Amino acid sequence: MNARSEILSAIRARQVTSAPAPPDYHAPTPADLVQAFADHAQLANAEVRFIDSEADTPGTIADLLRARNFPAVVHVPPSCMSLPWHIAPGLTVEATSPGPDDAAMAIAPFGIAETGTLAYPSGTDSPASWHFCAGFEIAVLRAAAILPHMENVIACFKAGGLPSTINFVTGPSRTGDIEQTLELGAHGPKALAILIVKD
Amino acid sequence: MTADPRSFPETSRAALRDPGLRIALGRLRTHFALGRAQAVERYPDWEALRESSRAIRDYALAHLDTLLLRFEQNVYASGGHVHWARDAKEAREIVLAILRKADARTVIKGKSMVSEEVGLNDFLAANGIETVETDLGEYIVQLRREPPSHIIAPAFHLNKEDVARTFRDAHNTLDPERPLSERSDLVAEARRVLRARFESADAGITGANFLTASEGAAVLVTNEGNGDLTRLLPKTHIVLTGLEKIVASMEHAAVLLRLLTRSATGQDISSYVTVMKGPRAGADSDGGKNFHVVLVDNGRTPLLGTEAEEVLRCIRCAACLNHCPVYAAVGGHAYGATYTGPIGAALNPGLMGVQVARHHANASTFCGRCAEVCPVKIPLPKIMRYWRAREYASGVAPRGMTASLGVWAFVAKRPTFYAVATLIAARLLKLLSRNGQVHQLPIMRNWFAVRDFPAPQGRTFQQLWAKRG
Repeated sequence: MNARSEILSAIRARQVTSAPAPPDYHAPTPADLVQAFADHAQLANAEVRFIDSEADTPGTIADLLRARNFPAVVHVPPSCMSLPWHIAPGLTVEATSPGPDDAAMAIAPFGIAETGTLAYPSGTDSPASWHFCAGFEIAVLRAAAILPHMENVIACFKAGGLPSTINFVTGPSRTGDIEQTLELGAHGPKALAILIVKD
Repeated sequence: MTADPRSFPETSRAALRDPGLRIALGRLRTHFALGRAQAVERYPDWEALRESSRAIRDYALAHLDTLLLRFEQNVYASGGHVHWARDAKEAREIVLAILRKADARTVIKGKSMVSEEVGLNDFLAANGIETVETDLGEYIVQLRREPPSHIIAPAFHLNKEDVARTFRDAHNTLDPERPLSERSDLVAEARRVLRARFESADAGITGANFLTASEGAAVLVTNEGNGDLTRLLPKTHIVLTGLEKIVASMEHAAVLLRLLTRSATGQDISSYVTVMKGPRAGADSDGGKNFHVVLVDNGRTPLLGTEAEEVLRCIRCAACLNHCPVYAAVGGHAYGATYTGPIGAALNPGLMGVQVARHHANASTFCGRCAEVCPVKIPLPKIMRYWRAREYASGVAPRGMTASLGVWAFVAKRPTFYAVATLIAARLLKLLSRNGQVHQLPIMRNWFAVRDFPAPQGRTFQQLWAKRG
């Protein structure tokens, strides 16, 4: 008998006492989704800024880079090339994959209020590896796209067909592996800024 | 792995005399236990969440065969492959075959306790394949040729000076004068060195925190981002995990996630939670072309239907280790096994055999904190008691222990005799005492070496009870 059928028959021979289908769990929902999102994201060491429209993105990115002493260069996925980059003079826009000290921009189609989490599906316009390769990730998220829980985001992704990878990102990369003390920027970004576009 | 579960009494004695380890173990209470307590406090209905999660895990274990088959079908539907491994040897050989087929010479790894359990790295090295661990803690212990000492913090036993020495030895092409005194120096150096390894690796191996049947997806929780680079950069991604990690759906995994990270590190959620479904799809701009899941049994299915079956609910958060007085005294390496602390004590006798891991089940004060903090309500002391009973029944327990238990049982089953015997014992102890304390006896010398026993002062419990009427 091969491994697969042997394991399956071992399971069936020993099947444990029946367990009923678990009732749906409903996590407590925050009252103000946008505020809860911003609070949780900041607790997870992300910087949150509110902007009036997507057209404000280039100027805000230039400002963020200056404030953190990053070179005025941002790596931008194909879908964001059409933003009015010319309004931020001196800011260079790159289409290549970011390196460990580079800043990169991403569009997050959903946010999770419960935890301050960004949700990215893999796809043509959003290289999943960018979220981990960059040194500084700047995410743009519409306020209306902030949903209460991870379950709500999963439902939205399922409605459109699940992508091969979903990345839920909360704050910058971190490690506690040396003396259980938090250090940011283990392998992924050392910093994360989230621009929430007010509707 | 140098230690052996059979030498636990000796290795734990040595651990107690290690001053560096004492400093490191002190961080259990100040970091892990405190972080968890605060996270639980912040959560509005922790007990309801625990109960839901227990039900989710029990449902999965009761439907293990159907869920695994559904998972397999959905992985194939999204272009991946599923492999089944009965034991450690089969798991190693499956991984090697996949790597050979992919012509892979270098492999990067995200943290996977199952790969430790099956001894993957040494096996691949013997077959000419180099593996590089990328979780910072796991990387540090790999450089030191040590096993991880904690389920979620592999280098928990080390202080930053130890890590600095390890890096100076291993990264010997870097400037020997470079500063490595701060934790941030160490993290930055590992980031730099490992990024190059990510970019040149032929294949990546990760574990999984959950497998979701309805979607055929693996869910991975990390804080560093190493697991994602391991999935996304190489051409081939292998998920190596225990088959009990299955849950019915992604919605179920989402409920468990709330417990997992809070119980583990005190975070509301980890920095990264990744849902991995098959290889790179048509529209994706990156990701590997090959996706394999290796489902490892290795002693898990025989636990189903036994009194130890609840141990399979475990989601490997390590809260039980972080709250265990025995783990806090001896650390992880003393166990000589991949799984340590209370979960090791409940799981290892099943996976390794009672004869091999019996000391683990005995290394408990039964204080019950492990069961109290377990997010999925595993009755850990009950399961340890089950293994102790099995040890006794199978005759592997030492003669002295079985003989004294036999004497006790003989006396305890005869109430009159018991009353007289305890009366005599109480009188005797009082005679042997000085200042109300018994300092030593010709038996239990080790116990008396570090403790005094308060001498009985008058009547026995039975006498007092009878008088109370």
